[in-house]
Amino acid sequence: MTWLVWRQHRAQFCVGAALLAALAVLLLITGLQMASQYHSAIAACAAAHSCANLSSSLFLGSHAVGFLVIMTLGAPVLTGLFWGAPLVAAELETGTNQFAWMQSVTRKRWLAVKAGWLLLAAAVWGGVISALVTWWSGPDNALQLDQFKTGRFDIMGIVPVAYALFAMALGICAGVLLRRTLPALAVTLAGFIAVRAAVTLLRSHYISAITVTHSVLSAYTPPGSAWQLGQQVVDSHGNLVAAPNGAAIDSIPLGYLPASCASPARGAVSILPSCRDALASFRSVVTYQPAGRYWAFQGIETGIFVLLAVVLLAVAAVVLLRRDA
Amino acid sequence: MTTVIQTCGLSKQYRRVSALSDCAITLPEGRISALIGPNGAGKTTLLRLLAGLAKPTAGEMTVLGGVPRQDPAFLAEVGYLAQEIPLYRRFTADDHIGIGAHLNPRWDAAYVRDRLRSLNIPLDRAASSLSGGQRAQLALALTLAKKPRLLLLDEPVAALDPLARRHFLATLAEAVACGGLTVMLSSHLLADLERVADHLILLATARVQLCGDIDALLAEHQILVGPRKATTAIEKTRTVVQAVRTARQTTLLVRGNAPVVDPDWESAEVGLEEMVLAYMSQPSTGLDAASAISHLTTVGEDQ
Amino acid sequence: MISLRIDSRSVVPPYLQIVQQVRQALRMGLLDVGDRLPAVREVVAATAVNPNTVLKAYRDLEREGLIEARPGHGTFVLNRPPGPPPGTVSRLGRSLARWVRQARESGLDDESIESLLRVTLRAAAEEEIA
Repeated sequence: MTWLVWRQHRAQFCVGAALLAALAVLLLITGLQMASQYHSAIAACAAAHSCANLSSSLFLGSHAVGFLVIMTLGAPVLTGLFWGAPLVAAELETGTNQFAWMQSVTRKRWLAVKAGWLLLAAAVWGGVISALVTWWSGPDNALQLDQFKTGRFDIMGIVPVAYALFAMALGICAGVLLRRTLPALAVTLAGFIAVRAAVTLLRSHYISAITVTHSVLSAYTPPGSAWQLGQQVVDSHGNLVAAPNGAAIDSIPLGYLPASCASPARGAVSILPSCRDALASFRSVVTYQPAGRYWAFQGIETGIFVLLAVVLLAVAAVVLLRRDA
Repeated sequence: MTTVIQTCGLSKQYRRVSALSDCAITLPEGRISALIGPNGAGKTTLLRLLAGLAKPTAGEMTVLGGVPRQDPAFLAEVGYLAQEIPLYRRFTADDHIGIGAHLNPRWDAAYVRDRLRSLNIPLDRAASSLSGGQRAQLALALTLAKKPRLLLLDEPVAALDPLARRHFLATLAEAVACGGLTVMLSSHLLADLERVADHLILLATARVQLCGDIDALLAEHQILVGPRKATTAIEKTRTVVQAVRTARQTTLLVRGNAPVVDPDWESAEVGLEEMVLAYMSQPSTGLDAASAISHLTTVGEDQ
Repeated sequence: MISLRIDSRSVVPPYLQIVQQVRQALRMGLLDVGDRLPAVREVVAATAVNPNTVLKAYRDLEREGLIEARPGHGTFVLNRPPGPPPGTVSRLGRSLARWVRQARESGLDDESIESLLRVTLRAAAEEEIA
């Protein structure tokens, strides 16, 4: 049965391996360049004591490769579309499942071996791409401290493996239920996007965020690669101050401040004492997830998608085994 | 004599349609059984139930001594060939032989190769580029190569030209002649199967109308021709399958072994096609004689 | 070795056609004592008839004492059917052909010739019984 799976899917496996190899070569070359570029920049700014501004002044790598890396966001769904949806659906459409099932292979074994190998392949696909991207982004992550942010979080670490498994399971399940490849493809794509979008929206709530309140006058930035969720300003009574539409000082619209704060020289660093007193009554509330929770979040999201994959596969198995051939 | 198939009250009900109703058949070993009936009579349903591809909604069946189940031993003993002849389009005959060798416990690759060579079917061309007849022969050879004890074929010759049909049935009959194989094949064309079958199962409107060895069935039936008169005496000792009355004459097809004592009735033997048509044109089947005939023959047959 | 054929359209049942063809071959000298008959498998492969049909025909011929099955070797001709040697049959056939030509020239059609033959055969049979 394993031989049959190989024989049926070897073209797909080869295409996948070739794409991975191409990506690996590209990222390895550019990644090494970026790493050396980063290290020489660090050495230079350390000597000149100007490292604080490095994150905004240094751009690593090329726009094209950077764009490609962002596009790996869509890599996991490809396994679901090209390997998962046709896996069962194509055979049901052409009737070749009947051929296999009359060759002394039980339906259980047929599905288990086919799905098993392709799920493994999907996991490898997602894992290799993620490993490459994570390594490649090393210097950028150190510079920008943004790997917790939405969009970067999704393409590094272990979650891409879970996404690929989920896409695969979704494709297989859709194929079993719909029995036709094209509708299964459509459902897999739509379902993947919908679930990923929904879970991404929920991501900030996995663990209750930390809230820090401080004076508007002293800026607070959560340390390291923390994920800043929001920043708001409240007045002395605790009421929310709306975001400024026009002139503002420290994010407080001029309308809330006494007239003495209005200054013709807008870029002035020093503020009149009376204005400072008025400003001091406002507070800045910062909500964020600390950097240390990065792996916990990766783990939780992986768990969610693996659980979804297991449920989908169970449904597919039950339906396929119970239904008439 | 071992029985290969035995069913009792077998039924398959879909939501609104009864595909098979109260089906009771017996198939002894070594027979080639013709499963005859118009389209929609339940032939495909019956074959799929026997192969274990579908589950019945009522009734019981025993196939090769057990219930059809998802079990490698059972699957190895039963061969099923669907009407659509499912083969992997991109794979060659050699590939299919390889697949069979990897999946089946018993496999005779040499048999397939010999058969295909003697029929001039290329082994290295994709299945999608073979003709309908060649695909049917390939599928049959692959099904026979796993050495099954029972072979279930669903309208295998429907799409074949007369020569391909002849070759297909000859291959089948030869395999049975070698021993250890029982075959049930369905068709809505009786002429195809008359030569090769020695057992008959007639289905119409999802019910079994006839089941038995063809010789025995023909011996049980008679045509009685006589003047137009009451047939109550006849009906007491025999079943009247079909009665045709004209102004002067009554023609009956009866089933039963009692001898005819009334000298008014002249008896004659009945042919297979005549008998099958009579059963198919009974009022309960919903077919009249004309459509029964059209179900049993086809344009292009033997032209 | 002879080749057997089956005519589906004939009123004669297939197994009887085989019996008749073997008997005819023996009468015409196409088959001789000791010749091997085609195996059941071979007949089936050539004619696409049911194997039991061929088996039944061979059993009938065996019961008549014309053939004999030797396990492992095949089926062989044992005896010729009772009747005149092949030469007589062809001689009679030729004189019959002459008679038929005469009958046709006199204006008899095939149907009349056949019914004349039937009547003559029946009369001859009745004569023998009497």
